Amino acid sequence: MNQHRDEGREPGPPGFEQVFMPHLDAAYNLARWLLRNDHDAEDAVQEAFLRAYKAFPRFRGGEGKAWLMTIVRNVCFTMMKRAGSRGTEEPFDEEVHQESAQAEMREAFRQKANAETLQAALEKLPEEYREIIVLHDLEGLAYKEIAAVIGVPIGTVMSRLSRARGRLRAEITTSNPEMR
Amino acid sequence: MNHDEVLRLLGAYLDGELDLPKCVEIEEHVAGCEACRERMEAEAELIGTVREEAPRFEAPAFLETRIRAMVREAAGETTVRKWMAFPWLWSGLAVAAVAVVLMFGYFRAPGLPGIVRDAVADHVRSLQVNHLMDVASTDQHTVKPWFAGKLNYSPQVIDLTTSGYPLVGGRLDVLDGQNVAAIIYGRRKHFINLFIWPASGSGLPSRPYTLNGYHVLGWTKGGMNYLAVSELGEQEFEDFAKLIQEQTSPARPGE
Repeated sequence: MNQHRDEGREPGPPGFEQVFMPHLDAAYNLARWLLRNDHDAEDAVQEAFLRAYKAFPRFRGGEGKAWLMTIVRNVCFTMMKRAGSRGTEEPFDEEVHQESAQAEMREAFRQKANAETLQAALEKLPEEYREIIVLHDLEGLAYKEIAAVIGVPIGTVMSRLSRARGRLRAEITTSNPEMR
Repeated sequence: MNHDEVLRLLGAYLDGELDLPKCVEIEEHVAGCEACRERMEAEAELIGTVREEAPRFEAPAFLETRIRAMVREAAGETTVRKWMAFPWLWSGLAVAAVAVVLMFGYFRAPGLPGIVRDAVADHVRSLQVNHLMDVASTDQHTVKPWFAGKLNYSPQVIDLTTSGYPLVGGRLDVLDGQNVAAIIYGRRKHFINLFIWPASGSGLPSRPYTLNGYHVLGWTKGGMNYLAVSELGEQEFEDFAKLIQEQTSPARPGE
């Protein structure tokens, strides 16, 4: 099938919009989770679409979503660097987050895992953990696609996602609803 | 496979990212290891909760309008600028344009069958709000009868949930000017439209196509034409087609 790639694509805006507009929500979701702010996310997505449009002649077909997400991610990280907001997440306290017994942890997890605590816990994660959970569990990208988007080997995607989930679980089970 | 190795691969196993031999090894270990089973259940619970509960932010409507306008403006600008910069090219371009129009007139149809364009357009439209399905059901025994009375044939509805392509629903659609059944399958956040109509109707494209990143693949079985369209990765898409082909009965379904 490879040699038949994209013979029907027309140059210019119709092709571009057809390929990328269906992924607008995905782009926005990633930007919103990374930047944690509506307004910045809107700016980032608009900038990403403009960059994608300019680079469109180099787009070789295939997974448009992963291609767009790579650009969105780059724009977001550039914005965060400019704003100096990287590394603002709270320090991870190993003692507070010590692994308790499996059964207790699951019970605590069940009681606390609602949309609100989940969002708070996700927002507390370091960016590299947050983005990988968003890309995989919310946006449904495969490991291979994520590897391309964030530019690491597949093995790293697997181990990072696993650490990210472990950390998320710890954040949820030790979260204190009254403190919010 | 030892204990630590199983724990290391647990997430990838639950995400469906491991090959069959590894899956079997993990399942064998977990069957005899209480701790790993506990861990796997807890992990599956976490993943499920994130998928169902974590908010997915949607782009505000004005953003789409703004981006479309921006792209069109950018497109207009570059065209005009190029023309103004190279006026001597105008005549050349005009000749080229005529040549392209002529070529397309002659070769466009065999190059890209209309039915492929149609199928991709139907698929893209189906992904837009509230158009994916007319009957939403994960049960093949609900989807199949729904078509009765709407079409003069009855499409086979195959359930591939256990293979990781859950049935999402069915829809009546128009392809190449004829009414067809569209069965929708899901795969993570992607969708596959499977169009079905009698082989006596419009012909299928002679080979697989990829248009704007959407794969299109057709085949005939049991007197019916099948045309699958999706933005899924190529491998998964082909796996899907193979599964449907294998499970479709060769007998022509009752009319």
